[in-house]
Amino acid sequence: MSGKPRALVVDDEPAILRFLKPALEANGYEVAHAETVTDAVKHIASQAPDIVLLDLGLADGDGKEVIRQVRSWSDLPIVVLSAREREAEKIASLDLGADDYVNKPFATGELMARMRAAMRHRMQRHDEPAALTVGGLEIDAVRRRVTRGGAEIKLTPKEFELLTFLVRHAGRVVTHRQILAAVWGPAHTSDTQYLRVYIGQLRQKIEARADEPQVILTEPGIGYRIGAGDETQR
Amino acid sequence: MSVTVTARASPDALLALASKEGRGRLKIFVGAAPGVGKTFAMLSAARSEQAGGRDVVAGLVETHGRRETEQVLQGLEQLPRAPIVYRHRVMREFDLDGALARKPSLLLVDEFAHTNVPGSRHPKRWQDIDELLAAGIDVWTTLNIQHLESLNDVVLKISKIRVRETVPDKVFDRADEIVLVDLPPDELLKRLAEGKVYVQDTAARAVESFFKPQNLTALRELALRRAAERVDAALVERMQAQAIEGPWAAGERILACVGPDAASPGVVRTAKRLADLMDAPWIAVTVERSGVGLDAASRKRVDSALKLAESLGAEIHTLTGNDLPDELLRFARFENVTQIVIGRARGGTLRQWLQRPLPQRLMQRSTDIAIHLVPLPADSTVRTSPSLVARMNASTPAHFLYAAVAVAGALLVSRGLAQVIPSASLSAVFLMAVLFSAVKSGVGPAIFASALSFLTYNFFFIAPLYTFTIAEPYELLALLVYLVVAVVAATLAGRLREQARVSAGRVRAMRRLYEFTRRLSGLATMDAIAEGAASEIHASLGRPVMVLLPQGDELVLAAAWPPEDLLDEAGTMAARWAFTHAEAAGFETGTLPIVPWRFLPVRTGDTTYGVVGVMMQGKDGAALDSEAQALLDTLTEQTAAALQRAALTRDMVSARTATETERVRNTLLASISHDFRTPLSSILGSATSLLTYGDKIDASATRDLLANIREEAEGLDEMVRNLLSITRIESGALELRRDWIDLREIAGRVIAATRRRGAAHRLVLEWPAEVPLVNADASLIEQALGNIVANAVAHTPPTSTIVIDAVVEAGWVRLRVTDDGPGIPAADLPQIFERFVQSASAKTASNDRGGVGLGLAIARGIMLAHGGTILAVSPVEAGRGTRMVLSFVDTAATEVKTS
Repeated sequence: MSGKPRALVVDDEPAILRFLKPALEANGYEVAHAETVTDAVKHIASQAPDIVLLDLGLADGDGKEVIRQVRSWSDLPIVVLSAREREAEKIASLDLGADDYVNKPFATGELMARMRAAMRHRMQRHDEPAALTVGGLEIDAVRRRVTRGGAEIKLTPKEFELLTFLVRHAGRVVTHRQILAAVWGPAHTSDTQYLRVYIGQLRQKIEARADEPQVILTEPGIGYRIGAGDETQR
Repeated sequence: MSVTVTARASPDALLALASKEGRGRLKIFVGAAPGVGKTFAMLSAARSEQAGGRDVVAGLVETHGRRETEQVLQGLEQLPRAPIVYRHRVMREFDLDGALARKPSLLLVDEFAHTNVPGSRHPKRWQDIDELLAAGIDVWTTLNIQHLESLNDVVLKISKIRVRETVPDKVFDRADEIVLVDLPPDELLKRLAEGKVYVQDTAARAVESFFKPQNLTALRELALRRAAERVDAALVERMQAQAIEGPWAAGERILACVGPDAASPGVVRTAKRLADLMDAPWIAVTVERSGVGLDAASRKRVDSALKLAESLGAEIHTLTGNDLPDELLRFARFENVTQIVIGRARGGTLRQWLQRPLPQRLMQRSTDIAIHLVPLPADSTVRTSPSLVARMNASTPAHFLYAAVAVAGALLVSRGLAQVIPSASLSAVFLMAVLFSAVKSGVGPAIFASALSFLTYNFFFIAPLYTFTIAEPYELLALLVYLVVAVVAATLAGRLREQARVSAGRVRAMRRLYEFTRRLSGLATMDAIAEGAASEIHASLGRPVMVLLPQGDELVLAAAWPPEDLLDEAGTMAARWAFTHAEAAGFETGTLPIVPWRFLPVRTGDTTYGVVGVMMQGKDGAALDSEAQALLDTLTEQTAAALQRAALTRDMVSARTATETERVRNTLLASISHDFRTPLSSILGSATSLLTYGDKIDASATRDLLANIREEAEGLDEMVRNLLSITRIESGALELRRDWIDLREIAGRVIAATRRRGAAHRLVLEWPAEVPLVNADASLIEQALGNIVANAVAHTPPTSTIVIDAVVEAGWVRLRVTDDGPGIPAADLPQIFERFVQSASAKTASNDRGGVGLGLAIARGIMLAHGGTILAVSPVEAGRGTRMVLSFVDTAATEVKTS
């Protein structure tokens, strides 16, 4: 990536932009701003920013429309800004292809971390990670080995598939629906009870303490997220 | 008897059993005569129940001073009697309410047939007992067989005593158990002679000859037979309930023909006895001749006979037709009647001479139906149709005058014609006069006219002329012809007139009903319907009417015509009874008949909406005839339908209001969460940016973030203030600290504050000279104006101009805020001052200080609290712009004028 990463903030609340702009600039982003769905799509098409911060409540329509349109031709990272209680909206956004979400109000540090994870993932999509270490767990996707402190953990093929799917999206949230479609197939997208059972089994095997998961985190009502990897790995 | 068990129980039988569930059980101790020991038997049985641990209370027991009886009564809990004031005397009666409150398992109440003191809730004790049973209390009572309604005239024949206190057979038949207390007549007489029995029964005491062996034997036989029938009925009931094939009744059906004659009660009772003997269903029927109206007395006799039949368990029908036997037989065949009971008719002699009596005609035409004739009671003087005399009395002197004029006219014409026509033919001219009088004026004047005609004709035209002498007997023929023509023509004309009157009455009633329905359908509220119903029912029946509707737990007088706002306590009780039991109460009903009003429940299905009361006593206090009764029932039904509609509407409105409230609450929550979150995001975001990346942010950006935090915090404070204000305004708790304030100063402050908030709009203050001070709360007015200006800023592009100015006119000071923005769509204009209403463009405008769409609502609330008004005009000119006008009363000007 050459030069500064360019971020597009899509929000029609001037107050939000007012504090986001200095914060983003301080983190080395070049900031552009759009207020409507149309402007946002136009900007993404012409300027190809490195990341989009998208507020879902826009004056001229639904922010989800931006994701829908953009995802037909681009896989650039999109982070959604949404109110905490609007689970349905967040799930819909993620299912449409948003990379992650941040609940409003948020601390800028958290937003920056999510943005980094989303951008890193975009790079990983091109070269699959050979290995990921998270919460003391080493996952080697190529050799299909999972170890904790050198000891190998035996996983069933389904469990491994589930784990690698989460690892591939490390640092980002994936919805129940996305996991089910990828691991069990499109016919099972509403069978969330499978998922609960498998996640439970997986946690029993891989977590140091299954009742305080460090590797697979639950995003209540939305899906799961695997830690972005221990900082030392970067 | 061979018993076959079939698969199905009769539904009727099961239903009857089911309806008994939850009711108390009634046991009747039946005896043939006073003194046979019914009370003693009842008490003894009760004592053994009590010994078995049952809660037994003696509600009312007459010991008649008999020592044995008093001894058995000892040790039973006795209910004190309730005092009832009647004609300034305190009577002691059975305490129904006390018994209901005490609610024992088993209650003993003597004398089933007893008539209560007027003023009690029910006129008869059996009705008290019915209420006790309905309340689930088992009741034991005593009854002498002579008090049974259907045996009333048999007893009269046996003992020559008319028993006034009777119990309807259906009540007796509903008893769960009958215990026959039997004592051979000889023994009873012996006990009587020994003074062991002192008879207090007034009916018996009145006639010494009552206790004759043959009387007692006959009564004993009645009692035994009746008890045996009961056993049989109980057996059949049980067999049906258990689906046992049994000796079903032989399909007999009995028809009692009821008319206005005196034989009718006898006919009804005979039919009832026949029905009981044959275990057959029976029907009582009356035929109304179309077009022939009955006079009030006859109508009443028919009604009371039908009522008696109903109380004895008959099915009631009213037929209409001209040919009585034909109509009766058609009905009888349709209903598969096998026996007809009819009274021996005793019409006028003329009628008998003209037409054979009804029973004969019935017999002649029916070959397959048995006919029973019931003789008229010996003392009857009742006539079936109005007599000739009565009909004559119906004519007024004017009618006789017309008749005389008609005859005089005939005389004049005859005198004129006498020259050309032989005098014998002139009688025809007089015939015309008779006919005319008959048609025009009725029987009396017609007879008068025929006599007068005959005399005139005789005097002027029959030799010897100018004398009343009749030379030849055949000349009397003219008189006879006149008389016959007079009577026949008058009768026919009278019938026609009567028919016309009746059908006119029907048309009137129909129109009334139509009017009534139409009027009620236009009314929306329950009270308006009550008012309308009261006045319409009054107009239809010509009696005072009231309508009561429930309000909370109370039943209140909703409307009355003629206007009335009080109902005495007894009336209120009767009305409440009618309401809670959904049965008629008051005058001539089983409940509180002493009340002059009759109360009818107004109900549809199983919901009772209120009560209609009709005054039954007073200057035209006659009971309602069945026609008026039917009309009243229909009107009541219509009222019920209207009230139901109103109730549904009311429920719907309140449901809608609830939905609306819910919607407002949801909007409020959504708005608050949105409008609070944006500034909070801003504050949190700015603060965390400074905390985390403070070293990377330059000085001017840092200042901007801090300013951002302050402004958003101020915005939040403003919003909290607005929310509190709207709460205070809505709860009416807004306190005004009035002072003399200068609106210009306030407008200036608002403009400065708006600029400070970063509005880029051009804000112009155009202030004329001589704007008076207004008496108002400065901070509230500033809030109101601030909200209006903020609203203008939020709804217009930043390039717009907003003008604040003032005008003074006709006692008002008007403060105006005018913008040149796009204006408010006409459809939204009426709602903009409502809470939580925001136009689409304002939805995301964070600088709308009202925030949750409260700004304008608060401004209006504040203005109304000051006695002022607020108004929005849009567009202002050339299809653009919005103007908000805040009008203050020019207090200074008004004070000058009034002082």
